[in-house]
Amino acid sequence: MTPTLPMILVGQVAALSAPAPPEASGDYAVSRAGMVAMLLMLSSQEAERGPAARVWENGALRSVLAEAAVAYDAPLEGALSSAAGVTDGDGGWSALDGANAELRRRLIDLHRAAEARGDAPLQRRILDLYVEMARARRLELPGAAG
Amino acid sequence: MTLAERLAAYLSRTEGRAVAVENLARISGGASRETYRFDAVSEEGRRPCILRRDPPGSLIDTDRRLEFLAIRSFVGREVAAPEALVLETEGEELERPFFLMGRVEGGAPASPFGVDPYGAHAREIGEQFFTIMGRIAAEPVDGLPICEAADRPAPQDCWRRELDYWSGVIDADELHPQPIVRAAIRRLRAAPPPPAAKIAVVHGDFRSGNFLHDGAGRILALLDWEMAHLGDPLEDLAWAMDPLWSRPGDTRISGMVPLDEALAIWKRASGLEVDPKALAWWRLFASVKGQAIWTSSAKAWLDGGMKEPILLFSGWFTARAQDEILARHLSELGPA
Repeated sequence: MTPTLPMILVGQVAALSAPAPPEASGDYAVSRAGMVAMLLMLSSQEAERGPAARVWENGALRSVLAEAAVAYDAPLEGALSSAAGVTDGDGGWSALDGANAELRRRLIDLHRAAEARGDAPLQRRILDLYVEMARARRLELPGAAG
Repeated sequence: MTLAERLAAYLSRTEGRAVAVENLARISGGASRETYRFDAVSEEGRRPCILRRDPPGSLIDTDRRLEFLAIRSFVGREVAAPEALVLETEGEELERPFFLMGRVEGGAPASPFGVDPYGAHAREIGEQFFTIMGRIAAEPVDGLPICEAADRPAPQDCWRRELDYWSGVIDADELHPQPIVRAAIRRLRAAPPPPAAKIAVVHGDFRSGNFLHDGAGRILALLDWEMAHLGDPLEDLAWAMDPLWSRPGDTRISGMVPLDEALAIWKRASGLEVDPKALAWWRLFASVKGQAIWTSSAKAWLDGGMKEPILLFSGWFTARAQDEILARHLSELGPA
């Protein structure tokens, strides 16, 4: 599961607002505050790149599903040809993630079918896509962290 | 009553004398239990102790009795296990189950995500790290306290048991589809490893950041035994080798020593050989297990009211880093 940026920001408010018992003050509180600071720094990366990464990934998923439709749409009961209709809606976080979840589920089924059929070129295409998907969502730590 | 007062009352009752609790302070350490340091003060003097208490929501659903018995299995056996003192599986006096350990003084854990966490001492630390891991693998399990609570799998079943468990965690806790780790799970099921060379105690989270060191090249205590079990000793070796525990661009294992040195040290200490095919399987599995833990962490963060930053860090930053490692690994393996 990937928490969305709105959830993450609300979570940091919750973390900072939660009353701490006396035994959780001192070094622990300092360490916890440092973790919150780092999460906020990572949040700025997500705010900058997150929507574009989701729009790109959803488009890439629709492409690979559409390309495979000729050979796999029937056994997958039309899930590939209909993927074009899974839209990004209003482009907000919820709509993008909702579409992404639906498209990812169809990709999982397609990859499984490609493995069952021994379809090496399609598997290669999907494996390359995985690398790009993971890279597009990368978060980077500053220096020492932790 | 405060936690310190409750703990003092518990110790006074169980020891049959007045025990005061001083300097109680929560410390960072392990996301699956709340960890506190304190001094137990009685007529006999001052004992430095650690309290590990179940949290309301946990990163990993682990068996505290197993953790306690695993630690107890290695006290005095040159593997830097801390002293396991008391286990309370009901734990109503502290509101939740807990156990107490002796506290090892003079050391600190390094962040696994820090830059060059061991500096000039990396090689010395690596020598001890893989030696301790090898010693645990070498230890005959018969008669060890952990056997009171741990299932003993057949050598050919170790992989299946672990893969079933961790893929089940993903099934249960996943809130967003994860095609990369699903592909890795299928890959692992399609090509199982050879049977374990022996059944050993597996620490389960043997990695950079899970031990105390004195800052001068000496490991003082091995921490976080909560995922300990009996199984294939290559599981620990592969877990420590996951690229997650090294900074990008650092080819040393866990930021300590190169791969060939790590293997040589481990083989020397364990007396075991390393089957490359088996290790390759366990290395891919390590990333699957990692992703299962981070998936569980994100769910625990949500279920716990989004209050614990460490759970979010694991379920967000670490999960994404693990996905990238898995994707590269699968790409290198090529089509199934």
